[in-house]
Amino acid sequence: MPKKAFWLIILFTFLFILGINTGDLEFLNNLGNTICLSCIGVG
Amino acid sequence: MVSLRWLVQTLIALGTNAYLLFPFGSVIYQGPLKAVCHPGLNCYSCPAALLSCPVGAVQNFVAGLRMFGVGMIPNLGTMVIGYLGFIGTVVGRLPCGWICPFGFIQDLLYKVPLPKISLWQPLRYVKYGVLVIFVLILPVVLVDKAGLGEPWFCKLICPAGTLEGALPLILLKPSLWGTVTLYFWNKIVILSLIVIFAMLLSRPFCRVLCPLGAFYSLFSRISLVQLEFTEGNCVRCESCVRYCPTGVVPYKDPNSPECIMCLRCLDACRFQALDFSIRRPLPGPADNGAVSQS
Repeated sequence: MPKKAFWLIILFTFLFILGINTGDLEFLNNLGNTICLSCIGVG
Repeated sequence: MVSLRWLVQTLIALGTNAYLLFPFGSVIYQGPLKAVCHPGLNCYSCPAALLSCPVGAVQNFVAGLRMFGVGMIPNLGTMVIGYLGFIGTVVGRLPCGWICPFGFIQDLLYKVPLPKISLWQPLRYVKYGVLVIFVLILPVVLVDKAGLGEPWFCKLICPAGTLEGALPLILLKPSLWGTVTLYFWNKIVILSLIVIFAMLLSRPFCRVLCPLGAFYSLFSRISLVQLEFTEGNCVRCESCVRYCPTGVVPYKDPNSPECIMCLRCLDACRFQALDFSIRRPLPGPADNGAVSQS
């Protein structure tokens, strides 16, 4: 069903751009620059 | 094709974990690349990791949703959802087979010469429960007084986090030993079980527990990259079935949600019954809508 894929690509591209414009990039950068204590199982 | 995949897996695993200054600097890489998610499961607390983990990112976005007051715009994490959804729609589970470093580790473990066993098939549905419960529901339901949740998949299950993040960090920073909790030992047990099973069974974590694989698998039947099966060429020799690392029967269901697009079945088939195809998002006039047989 390539038509479905086409509309999903449009939707996900829109979500991606929306996220960039609502601060997701900064959030992710801050997140990635800290040690995830949950991943380690401490604290 | 098999050696090409090994080469790609090796290069991506090394290339995305290329921060080698961690013993001398800030323990983990802290730079602009962390704003980008890895397409596979790769712990962002791995000292050498250059990119963020998509599953960890989604959980942290979800965990923060209830912290925002009335009138405030929360970070919904649509960037990560859009990024993963785009990848899934275009290539399906191909990142599992070619890009994911933890999948690569399991492929290496399966090379250990031990007797092999098969997976009890109903277990493959567990990963959808892990995605919904541990990644999407618990981080938003179990919150502290401030309304902040926790990444419960990372905290309770993720063996990639234990192997790539917890163990190296505890070795690098011995002071962390003092704060180790039962969660750590729980994750050590899970990692040990995954390592043992990965030597007996092909890709046990990907097939049973991985929430990222579960998400990508939702797109397997509609993705632009597909396997095509030509019925007339197939002699039912079952060679493709024997080579498939995830227990798919390619001649019955070539685009099964379990298929990680490793393409070993293409190498295994001597009759060209299986092929790899890339569909266009919209069929052109000459295609008459019949772009793919599958």
